[in-house]
Amino acid sequence: MLIAAERVSQVYAARDGTPNWALRDVSLQIRRGEFVCLIGPSGCGKTTLLHLIAGFVTPTAGTVSFAGAPITGPGPERGVVFQEYALFAWMTARQNVEFGLRTRGVPRAERRRQALRALERVGLQHAADRYPHELSGGMRQRVAVARALVVEPEVLLMDEPFAAVDAMTRQTLQEDLLRLWEETGVSVVFVTHNVDEAAFLAQRVVVMGAHPGTIRADLTLDAPHPRERGSARFAELYAEIAGALAGHHGRKAA
Amino acid sequence: MSIASSETTDQRTSRNAPAPADSFETTFKAAHRRRLRQATLWRAALNVAGLALFVIAWELIPRYSTWINEVLFPPPSQVFATFVPLLFSGQILDNIRVSLVRAASGFGLALGLGIGAGVLTARLAWLQYLLEPLLHGFRSIPAIALIPLCILWFGIGEVSKTALIAWGAFFPLWITTFIGVRDVNPIYLRSAACLGAGRLTTLFLVVLPAALPFILTGIRQALSVSLVVLVAAEMSGASSGIAHMMSEGHQLFRVDIMFIGLAVLGAVGFLVDRAFVAIARRLFPWYQITS
Repeated sequence: MLIAAERVSQVYAARDGTPNWALRDVSLQIRRGEFVCLIGPSGCGKTTLLHLIAGFVTPTAGTVSFAGAPITGPGPERGVVFQEYALFAWMTARQNVEFGLRTRGVPRAERRRQALRALERVGLQHAADRYPHELSGGMRQRVAVARALVVEPEVLLMDEPFAAVDAMTRQTLQEDLLRLWEETGVSVVFVTHNVDEAAFLAQRVVVMGAHPGTIRADLTLDAPHPRERGSARFAELYAEIAGALAGHHGRKAA
Repeated sequence: MSIASSETTDQRTSRNAPAPADSFETTFKAAHRRRLRQATLWRAALNVAGLALFVIAWELIPRYSTWINEVLFPPPSQVFATFVPLLFSGQILDNIRVSLVRAASGFGLALGLGIGAGVLTARLAWLQYLLEPLLHGFRSIPAIALIPLCILWFGIGEVSKTALIAWGAFFPLWITTFIGVRDVNPIYLRSAACLGAGRLTTLFLVVLPAALPFILTGIRQALSVSLVVLVAAEMSGASSGIAHMMSEGHQLFRVDIMFIGLAVLGAVGFLVDRAFVAIARRLFPWYQITS
């Protein structure tokens, strides 16, 4: 098991000090190479769960472990792509991608070579010397994916990464992400509130509910990629996820 | 605007041109450049005219009016006549150099201490809580109020001037660095941590650049505070420097010398600020500094 959350609870103090259960008794296991979407309404703890795996927060109760060892903090084996504004504004696209290589002391020339190759994989080698404010929202997220992938993480944790881009760009980004996932074999945990996105991307959809944050259903989508958005099979997947979200016939996995 | 529209209609009528789209583009670009150049020239001309009007008024009013005393308000020709020998004897340049060295050493000291203190108090909560009452209390004391004490402690030499300027420039640097570092977007820190960055790498490659807009504001404030404190310190006890030259002029009842001092201070302040903006633009191309 690559990632294992065992009976994890996360409690925040609300403004008046009352406990607020972002997650309550959540257990989840993710295998190596899997593409998992966490989906649910706001307040269901999907981002909290992602942050626990990333190591940004420690659980109030329970354990989260990665490759068998408990997670104590962030690390380069778990790359994160945020919703937006995560690229360093003072670095060019190339320097952003180089950052993770720089922290591990890769020599300058080699760093540059790897960064350019990573940018090429996301189709942005021509924008290597531009600053984030000179890039469109979609281009920024491509750079963010390149930056996370260049250090060869074992899992890519993505927190609604395409929520802030327009619908056309989002579809291209989703297709590119699937291609990178297939090429690199990296595991992906992808937080979204968009049923269409989950139906298009995921092998497995973890449907969560709010107050307190819990897992309501764990769906396996066995349709092969690429999925055709107009197809009947896609409509079934969509309906299945939407139904589980609405709290009807969610079939619980073991 | 009128140029552009007339070019457009010309283009529409001459359909027989060999490459219409291309030649339209070149004429449009040329017209655009011409417009920009004219706007720049117009602005520069008005700038110069403003200065000239000011100098002419200043020259004529003391001479021909009965209600302004020429001794108290010497016209520019007289100030200039005093200025030229002082310039060629090297006196003015010496004074400028002495003053700039003082301002630079005090400011430089404050730059290191202020940014250092700002980073430390923003990153270590216990240090912040320990020092904040002191720092906020001291911050409220104008540097000028410390001049008499400083002269008692350090005399009227360079040490007391450097210390006073450093004191005045420290606080804007500390407080802006503190705010900038405290308010670094946590997503930057998390991104750095996921990419394996340690404390020092995070500090130099992430925290300081992220806080830079605030720090640059602090630097700009500290630069102008440095000049204010410099003048106050030099006026209350010094044997050289621009403000000292002015207080000598005061004692000799030479208003022209005092005017020279004011003009030099104005010019130095202006040039330092311009130089700061130019350097910041060059070093930090991603940071769009406004004016």
